[in-house]
Amino acid sequence: MRFPYALPVVALLCIHPGRAEPAEASLRLTTDSAEYCESLALRLAGMPAAAAPLPNALSEEGRRLCAGGHYRTGIAKLRRAIRLANEARAGG
Amino acid sequence: MRPPAARPAPPRLLQSAGFRFALLFMGIFSIAAAFLVAVLWWATAGALDRQTVAAIRADSTALLDRHRDGGVSALIESIEDRLAQDVEAETIYLLLGPGGAKLAGNLERLPESLDGDGAWFRARIAHDGASAEARIHRRDLPGGLRLLVGRDESERVQLRLLLTEGVVWSLGAIIVFGVIGASVIRRALRARMAPATETARNIASGDMSHRVPLSPQDDEFDRLGATMNAMLDRISLLMAGVRSVSDAIAHDLRTPIARARGKLEEALATATTADDLRGAVEEGIADLDNISRIFQALLRIAEAEAGARRAAFAPLDLPEVLRDAAEFYEAMAEDAGQLLATELPGALPMVGDRDLLLQAVANLLDNAMKFTPAGGTITLSARQEGGHAVIAVADSGPGLSPEDRARAMDRFFRADASRNTPGSGLGLSLVRAVAQLHRGEVELADAHPGAAPPGLRVALRLPLG
Repeated sequence: MRFPYALPVVALLCIHPGRAEPAEASLRLTTDSAEYCESLALRLAGMPAAAAPLPNALSEEGRRLCAGGHYRTGIAKLRRAIRLANEARAGG
Repeated sequence: MRPPAARPAPPRLLQSAGFRFALLFMGIFSIAAAFLVAVLWWATAGALDRQTVAAIRADSTALLDRHRDGGVSALIESIEDRLAQDVEAETIYLLLGPGGAKLAGNLERLPESLDGDGAWFRARIAHDGASAEARIHRRDLPGGLRLLVGRDESERVQLRLLLTEGVVWSLGAIIVFGVIGASVIRRALRARMAPATETARNIASGDMSHRVPLSPQDDEFDRLGATMNAMLDRISLLMAGVRSVSDAIAHDLRTPIARARGKLEEALATATTADDLRGAVEEGIADLDNISRIFQALLRIAEAEAGARRAAFAPLDLPEVLRDAAEFYEAMAEDAGQLLATELPGALPMVGDRDLLLQAVANLLDNAMKFTPAGGTITLSARQEGGHAVIAVADSGPGLSPEDRARAMDRFFRADASRNTPGSGLGLSLVRAVAQLHRGEVELADAHPGAAPPGLRVALRLPLG
């Protein structure tokens, strides 16, 4: 009765998502670099449907963004282009 | 033995019942809020977590199948293909060869503290310059290959932050509203209790005339006030009764005591023989017995009026009690040349104090016999009228005038016409006290209206339930 406000805090602590595993120094992802940008562009270039208008436009934009240092958005564009090219190939 | 240490007084606010009620309410509210947060968490972040685990499990199983069907090169191609089409940028893969060399994937290295096959792991990852949380699953493949499959959990972290922020704000609101509510409740309770407190203070200072003012709301406080008022009325009545008995004792017992003393003194001064002295002493003993009877009657009346004997109530058959009384007085009535008639039903069950009812009826029959002339008739009757039992004793004596009837049940009252008959003037007082103890009443009326003499009919009307 003396600390009624503590109850929700205790409940929150109990369900805190970071409690289960010990923390470790951050691991780096290699898929947000200029090299990966280049490898995606090469991969797209080797695909039969890469010349289609939409994948081609996305590929152009992705490469431009990567060249400007915006790897995350550039890579996202290239990935969309690859997905579209894949779908076009699968669709015949 | 050392006396126990005095407990320190609680803080002033906690001494207020209103504040404690408000705190209790806040406690219950907080528990409900915590439960709500837990449910909310389970339904949002928990669901997201379960979805992530399911996706990782399905992905890793598909990759294992790919490796089984197409070998390492097919597995590497699948991983590269998945990464190449991951528009949302949330997948994490790492395939290590038998010597620990990286074969495919976007994770730079193997986490340090990772258990064996099937282990689940949560790690911080540096993703596009920002730190994020990821969930990773390890699967070991034949040929010493190690595969890690994971998902970025940034969305879940964002949700957690949002929920935490919401809870902290809600907590602040609970505290603020709780404190305001507590002080409002405290003030309201104090205002509602003020009339009762003021009345109690006035009573304590000796003024019994004060009563708790009642509001038209008729809430719990008004009911408490009404109960207090009823209690104060009862106390006033008892105090008035005690005062009346004291006055009556002082006034009415002084005379017989003085008379007994006078007789004994006279006998001491004038008795010449032992027989004269013996006679005076016997007369003195009879007077003292009479005084003792009066005291006993007074005590019984006080006991009945205080309601102390209500615990002795038991089921009884009223006609059986009345027949006992009639049987006792029948012979005495015959000796006095009177007729005692009874009109009693076969059975009339009720709950009450048998001894006191018998005493009350005996008093009524005793009175009736005293005032009924020889040849007269006394009738003892009982019947059921609705939810009441009515016991009546009617005589053919001179009756009572309306003025005397109004005072007949006061202690020590004796009508002018009965000054010469023996008695203490307490008989009807006891009858009334017994009736009140049974939550009933006593009615006095002419036994034969219009006749001369009219006689007296005394009826006890007692509730059966």
